[in-house]
Amino acid sequence: MKKIVSLLLAALMVATMCFGLASCNTPEAGGETGDWAKIQERGYFYCGITLYAPMNYYNEEDVLVGFDTEFAQAVAEELGVEAKFVTITWGSKYLELNSGAIDFIWNGYTFGDESDGTPRSNYVDFTYAYLNNSQCIVTASNKLATLNTKEAFAGLRGAAEGGSAGEAVAKDLAGESGTYTPVAAQTNALMELKAGTIDFAVIDVLMAEAMVGQGDFTDLAINNAYTPEPEVYAIGCRKGSDMTAKINEAILKLVENGKLAEIAAKYELSDALIQNIGEN
Amino acid sequence: MTFARINAMLLEGFGTSCQLFLLTLVLSLPLGLIIMFGSTCKFTPLRWLTRTFVWIIRGTPLMLQLFVVFYVPGMLFHMHLFPSGPEGRFAAALTAFVINYACYFSEIYRGGFGSITRGQYEAAQVLGMTRWETFRHVILMQVVKRLLPPMSNEIITLVKDTSLARTIMVAEIFFINETEILTKGIVWPLFYIGVFFLIFVGALTLLFNYLEKKLSYYKV
Repeated sequence: MKKIVSLLLAALMVATMCFGLASCNTPEAGGETGDWAKIQERGYFYCGITLYAPMNYYNEEDVLVGFDTEFAQAVAEELGVEAKFVTITWGSKYLELNSGAIDFIWNGYTFGDESDGTPRSNYVDFTYAYLNNSQCIVTASNKLATLNTKEAFAGLRGAAEGGSAGEAVAKDLAGESGTYTPVAAQTNALMELKAGTIDFAVIDVLMAEAMVGQGDFTDLAINNAYTPEPEVYAIGCRKGSDMTAKINEAILKLVENGKLAEIAAKYELSDALIQNIGEN
Repeated sequence: MTFARINAMLLEGFGTSCQLFLLTLVLSLPLGLIIMFGSTCKFTPLRWLTRTFVWIIRGTPLMLQLFVVFYVPGMLFHMHLFPSGPEGRFAAALTAFVINYACYFSEIYRGGFGSITRGQYEAAQVLGMTRWETFRHVILMQVVKRLLPPMSNEIITLVKDTSLARTIMVAEIFFINETEILTKGIVWPLFYIGVFFLIFVGALTLLFNYLEKKLSYYKV
């Protein structure tokens, strides 16, 4: 009897605690729509990034540079706040965004679908697209001659960043008989390739042009056996956030005063920069 | 990247790991004691509640707890318990680590105190010692001596568990290595990191050996 009573009491205590927690968890007034007010109050916003050239990377002086870095800083300046960056695992990007740990996915983020076919616009609100990109295949440079058709990749081991636009391409190329490995960041795919643990990687062409065949990756090369559909980069904001409009406004200003074109030229991305931003 | 540069980056990451280790240790040792009082309490509901809590914490992966502490409040309730940025991530990781390790420590404590036979308390009472005197002069050092080996085990595990903090992007040594060094195709730092941990755990082992020797009062 004593045991039953104590069990009941314990259950009651747990229930009260849960209730107490639940009742103090009423969302703050405004919820996601109050993002701008919160960012203004804090004085900064956080962009979730992975490190790779030419978007976000550390230069020789150990300063975070790159197109997206300077772009975010320019937008922040327009808004009168500061841009901060945090390195994340790409697969955790929606978790980071929805929990409020970051405010934007701003790292060469492709406007398109997840590899399972779900439109990314189900998860985020996109700003205007700003750069043209496409996925591309990278292989060891001594394999360029043998891996020269789309079919040659069937049955091989491919990798792409988990949750990236390249995922679907890599899966498709490797086919049923091959394997596909999702990795934490695009640069990890290059590392796997260098280590020989995979046969091909699918990454952003803008990144491949900036990193493959040089520096630490001299023995790798872009493989043009197959060119996937072109795509565009845009910034991912929290669903329903009032920041989307704010960022769009700032982007248009940066286009108008030529600042965006200037940054693009600095990173040799002038050709990739979308003309007439905001009109499509 | 130069050796000096990589060295500086790794040292910074290892600094974060060490901070996480030390703070977790300092905070979870006393918290473990409090949890032990709960799980040995004569008030049954509290005892049940504490033991259920210990069961949940010891029964779920630390990785899951890290996710829950850092992401879930924001996602489900728009409640931001931890400030955004590296400090907030570190605080979240520390919270998860302290709760997790306190539960393990509480069970080690419970084992330690439970191992003292009732006869010793009775003997002390016959000799006219107060409860505090009994605890201070008879029980405490015996318990400490018995706690030391399992505690050192758990503490060494904690040193290496700090790498789990990368789950929520805390810039500890492995996260830095993976995002900034390994991705450039540089492999040797992996072994170098191994040396960091070997030296750290080696120092801890020497410390525990010394303490055990100090406490080995049965040996003549």
